[in-house]
Amino acid sequence: MSQFLDRLTFFRKTVEPFSDGHGIVTSEDRSWEDGYRKRWQHDKIVRSTHGVNCTGSCSWKIYVKGGIVTWETQQTDYPRTRPDLPNHEPRGCARGASYSWYLYSGARVKYPMVRGRLLKLWREARAKLSPVAAWASIVEDADKRHAYTSIRGHGGLVRSTWDEVNEIIASANAYTAKKHGPDRIIGFSPIPAMSMVSYAAGSRYLSLLGGTCMSFYDWYCDLPPASPQTWGEQTDVPESADWYNAGFLLVWGSNVPQTRTPDAHFYTEVRYKGTKSAVVSPDYAEATKFADIWLNPKQGTDAALALAMGHVILREYHLDRQVGYFGDYARRYTDMPFLVRLAEKGGRLVPERLLRASELAGGLGEANNPEWKTVAIDEASGEPVAPRGAIGYRWGEEAKWNLEEKDGEGRDIRLKLSLAGEGAEFAPVDFPYFGGRASEHFTATEHDEILTRNLPVRTIETATGERVKVATVYDLTMANYGLDRGFGGGNVAVNYDDDVPFTPAWAERVTGVKRDAIVTVAREFATNAEKTDGRSMVILGAGLNHWYHMDMSYRGIINLLVFCGCIGQSGGGWSHYVGQEKLRPQTGWLPLAFALDWARPPRQQNSTSFFYAHTDQWRYETLTAAEIVSPTAPDGEWNDSFIDYNVRAERMGWLPSAPQLKQNPLTIAANAKAAGLEPKDYVAKALKSGDLELSCHDPDDPANWPRNMFVWRSNLLGSSGKGHEYFLRHLLGTKHGVQREDLGAEGAVRSKEVVWHDKAPEGKLDLLVTLDFRMSTTCVYSDIVLPTATWYEKNDLNTSDMHPFIHPLSAAVDPAWEARSDWDIYKGLAKTFSEVAPEVLGVEEDVVLTPIQHDSPGEMAQAFDVADWKRGEVEPIPGKTMPTVSVVSRDYPNLYARFTALGPLMEKVGNGGKGIAWKTGHEVEGLGRLNGVHATGAAKGLPKIETDIDAAEVILSLAPETNGEVAVKAWEALSKVTGRDHTHLALPKEDEKIRYRDIQAQPRKIISSPTWSGIESEKVCYNAGYTNVHELIPWRTLTGRQQLYQDHLWMRAFGEGLVTWKPPVDLKAVRGISGMKPNGNKEIALNFITPHQKWGIHSTYSDNLLMLTLNRGGPVVWISEDDAKSAGIVDNDWVEVFNANGALTARAVVSQRVKSGMMMMYHAQEKIVNTPGSEITGNRGGIHNSVTRIVLKPTHMIGGYAQLAYGFNYYGTVGANRDEFIVVRKMAKVDWLEDPLTAEAPMEAAE
Amino acid sequence: MTAAPALTFKALSALLAYPSEELQAATVEIASLIASEGLVAPDCRHQLQRLLNEIEEGDLFALQEAYVDLFDKTRRLSLHLFEHIHGESRDRGQAMVDLAAHYERAGLILTANELPDYLPLFLEFLSTRPLDEARALLGETAGILMLLDERLAKRGSPYAAVMSALVALADRPAEAEPEAETEGAADDLAALDAAWEESAVTFGPGDALDGCSVDRLRTRMRAARRAVAQPAA
Repeated sequence: MSQFLDRLTFFRKTVEPFSDGHGIVTSEDRSWEDGYRKRWQHDKIVRSTHGVNCTGSCSWKIYVKGGIVTWETQQTDYPRTRPDLPNHEPRGCARGASYSWYLYSGARVKYPMVRGRLLKLWREARAKLSPVAAWASIVEDADKRHAYTSIRGHGGLVRSTWDEVNEIIASANAYTAKKHGPDRIIGFSPIPAMSMVSYAAGSRYLSLLGGTCMSFYDWYCDLPPASPQTWGEQTDVPESADWYNAGFLLVWGSNVPQTRTPDAHFYTEVRYKGTKSAVVSPDYAEATKFADIWLNPKQGTDAALALAMGHVILREYHLDRQVGYFGDYARRYTDMPFLVRLAEKGGRLVPERLLRASELAGGLGEANNPEWKTVAIDEASGEPVAPRGAIGYRWGEEAKWNLEEKDGEGRDIRLKLSLAGEGAEFAPVDFPYFGGRASEHFTATEHDEILTRNLPVRTIETATGERVKVATVYDLTMANYGLDRGFGGGNVAVNYDDDVPFTPAWAERVTGVKRDAIVTVAREFATNAEKTDGRSMVILGAGLNHWYHMDMSYRGIINLLVFCGCIGQSGGGWSHYVGQEKLRPQTGWLPLAFALDWARPPRQQNSTSFFYAHTDQWRYETLTAAEIVSPTAPDGEWNDSFIDYNVRAERMGWLPSAPQLKQNPLTIAANAKAAGLEPKDYVAKALKSGDLELSCHDPDDPANWPRNMFVWRSNLLGSSGKGHEYFLRHLLGTKHGVQREDLGAEGAVRSKEVVWHDKAPEGKLDLLVTLDFRMSTTCVYSDIVLPTATWYEKNDLNTSDMHPFIHPLSAAVDPAWEARSDWDIYKGLAKTFSEVAPEVLGVEEDVVLTPIQHDSPGEMAQAFDVADWKRGEVEPIPGKTMPTVSVVSRDYPNLYARFTALGPLMEKVGNGGKGIAWKTGHEVEGLGRLNGVHATGAAKGLPKIETDIDAAEVILSLAPETNGEVAVKAWEALSKVTGRDHTHLALPKEDEKIRYRDIQAQPRKIISSPTWSGIESEKVCYNAGYTNVHELIPWRTLTGRQQLYQDHLWMRAFGEGLVTWKPPVDLKAVRGISGMKPNGNKEIALNFITPHQKWGIHSTYSDNLLMLTLNRGGPVVWISEDDAKSAGIVDNDWVEVFNANGALTARAVVSQRVKSGMMMMYHAQEKIVNTPGSEITGNRGGIHNSVTRIVLKPTHMIGGYAQLAYGFNYYGTVGANRDEFIVVRKMAKVDWLEDPLTAEAPMEAAE
Repeated sequence: MTAAPALTFKALSALLAYPSEELQAATVEIASLIASEGLVAPDCRHQLQRLLNEIEEGDLFALQEAYVDLFDKTRRLSLHLFEHIHGESRDRGQAMVDLAAHYERAGLILTANELPDYLPLFLEFLSTRPLDEARALLGETAGILMLLDERLAKRGSPYAAVMSALVALADRPAEAEPEAETEGAADDLAALDAAWEESAVTFGPGDALDGCSVDRLRTRMRAARRAVAQPAA
């Protein structure tokens, strides 16, 4: 045939080889591929995130197939950033990616569980008695109560039903409120920002009840008190995207790639732009790999390092050469120009408090709050002036609380930084030095306890004719840093090599960091800030904040930023990322969470002081105030015990109390009426006469015990319970590992204010209820465990410090087994409570004591001195010299109706926050239409809050951050106070209203609001302090500026007026312990450090096999090669770690990474996994907190004093734990305690 | 020929459920049903009687506490079958989806607040299936049942008898006894360490599944159950 006919014209053959015969076409059946296709099929994808203890707020896609969550992947649809800024996504980490397997894992709590012995008692009692009577019959019988409280943590839980557990809990709550008072019902839940509706569910229930909500931020020691001290703000920080705007990044004690995994990409990316980075970390942490230069100071000496850097910066950028921008910033935005009185003490001068307008002739023309208006010298006139912005301008008048360079009467002023110059007078002034007090584990230097330095002063005649010397904070600061300015005298240096505090040479001795490195980093930090107007940033973390003297490290670092004008500048500033808690729609959330729509004020308690008292850790206190008090302290008796300091703070209205009074607060209003007095006058009078007693004076009296406790969204006993073994012993009354006798037995009782009982109570709680999705350590110790929804089974809201988006948690599937969302659990409980309560409770008058609140006019309580009514120094005046007294009406039978409706106070009183207020009528009306209104009952006509989504809508509607209309109102309210128009920050978004379904579609950026000091805009990333600097809104401090000088009496007593170096304190927990119970192996003492881990987020994921498989499969401690060698320990050995507080068991990781002299135990590894018995205690090895104990610090108790006034999670004592030392030794015998349960043997570990 | 469904599965399902008053009252009925169907061998029945007696006579709280300690708190004794096969692996979700679909194909919809791989639930399903099919399906879980049997027996728990009965009922391939040997030494720490030890990573072919013990275990269990594929002619 011809070629023509052979050739196909319309077809080509399918099976031709191609590519020179390398490719062929086959026609086999490909249906086998369907297997793979189906593997990735799903019915739906739902957006959710991880909702309590990680603050990443990452967007995840949850895949659902056949009603079962099959897997999750990272979501990548964040709104795009502006040009030249990397996008946020993808966010997430290995921990989040393994979450979904919790849903169906063996660790899941599936049913409501009750301790069997309790349930048996309950059913027997309930067969004969009504609910509250049944509960009374159990807890009032010592044997019955002991039967179940003494075996907490030892197994024996059985399943129950929701109806039954609700009745038990409601009966216990009603009984407790009636018998002891509702403030004995305590609730602990942390980090509301991460699942705010779930938090609010419990706190709303408790607040309607009159129960006490516990703080977490201070307790976790994540609160840096230096922030409220300096800025009057809990914490406000740049979002992680702002790292990308920095020109120099100083990463200090924060392990960004490990603990801020989803944000770390900005750190990587900015280095491609040429940004330099220095990392400060004692160990070779993961972040050090990002460093251009690594500084590794001895752990706990960061303040010394910061002081030396400050020394260099002041010398080279403020004194020898003056950078205009830095000087101008110091003048306008800091307290450096302000005048400090110098007190004469034994012929010597010591810095005292800031001078006030009221002390000068005519109060400098200020009639409103002149004693709260601070004073500086005007350059032009040379005369003292009272600049605007001080706290006295904030309250009682309008339009003058701003940072304009004007005085109260509107005259232009320019403040003088230094009194040096022509005709200056000089005087020697004393500064305390604590560096000689270091324990044997740290470097003590031999400088004097008092360092006298010359500085320029001025003598001023006061209104009373007193002649007083004053100096500026600026001049005091220069002298404090040991800078020789040519004024003569000693203790100052020109040369960095002089061994004078705080030169680089001095710091080299204390920290071990070479002086050249210190100078280099300081110079590069400041030079960059000079060239960029403040784009130098410090990222700092828990590595610093968990030390007893964290304030010194933080203030040392804050000073670096302030000296270089970095705070409030894009790409600059203070990025403290320790357990961030940025509840962005805060003012929308507060009414829901604390039932402010029904009754105000709520009961809130600072947890550190509470647990110190009620786990009886105070009975074992080894630190004395004498060890930390300043050699320059004002006259007075300062060597009191810390519990005494705390009691004084409570009765003076500085710190809250829980329980508040020995007497039931439901009985007091009636007594007041009988006495013919207003309740507040009655309480003041009765306290003075002794008819009423504050509970804090006797925390061990059964009348003052906390009785019922709820723990939700938290693993209090397995993670954050510092002094774990004391919790077990005194609060729970079960087996414990405390190794030391208390002070009574040691003959060292020191407290004067608090009653000492020879035998401490064991088992204060009648009932411990925990809500969790997994059988955590806390659940194991609880009497009742309630199965809660996982983060993929409920609807909620989530915001973070790390990015400006508001994000949902969504129910991808219904809660598995019997689980319910936190909202439904507390709602169900509220319902049962309303049914049970009428047996003993009706509508009751509850007398509530509240500490003096920050951001309220009350924060101007005692301007000059500290007067204590109990000591007869002043009358008890509520809200001034003692707590505020309010009467709140509780409608117990209608608690459920109130729980599920938005109460009338929102419309009547309005809403607000941080010192400003606005009307909310329009939003309430809108919510009524959105959620519907109740048709009948006690909440008739009020908007419904039935579901978790209803609750979310309440938050979103009321908050300025998510409702543009409210944002404009809020800025208007602030504009009135400052006299400057700020509404331009929100007006373009006035019509924007973010609703729950919007954020399910895509995370939404929040709207700029006066609740926060940063803004959302197309030009800058969120950065703290931005509106202070750019809108001239004062910081909420005494001077209205960044407060480098802390002038309160107690601050000066403890030598913290100015930043200084304070070595870690000696807790003496290893003395007399080493060698006490030998096992034949060598024992060595090490500093115990608890950084955050790679394989878990706190204790979550530390029981997840996927994460366990990536590490050693159980608890580990890290030690250096040198220490391991000296103790005869090799890698993976089982070791025991112990001290006076208790013991724990773990495997040793021996690593070059670790600095000699310290041990690292990653924070919160669950003791329910792979933990053998302790040779010391005979119980199962503990958790990291088994060897810790908290110690309070008096400076954290100050209240009623401008920025140093109480706010929930804002200020208060903090749970520091890194000054602790432990003994470590190799274990001789590893005993898994797996023998069958006997009456004695503890049985707590799951396999 | 297929035999009629057997209620013995339902009886054993009830025995593995959380102890309740109802269960306590039904022990006689359960015993007589098992006896009358005759699917459980006499010596095994004798063992079961010990459990039945304990349930009948025991204090309900004590029974419940023991049950929770065994099956709710102890991961290695979980009654959720896939806990033992997939553990925390992401294959577990898909496996549950497949199993639920299997129930649906048989005309049964899950109504309880339980997962499809819950053993008592699975047994209830088997009680509705023809005996041959039920035995064959049960055979697929034989490895797990044997493990549970052994672990329960080691603890001296009477619940072991239920597992023994199920193992005997299961129709399984002769060679499918792969898992027991790694578990024989559950209290031998060295053996446990060896079982969980990761082998060194190598980059040659053929080693992928030796690397991680969880995957290896899973693959081996699947391989044991897989029908031998016939190559296409």
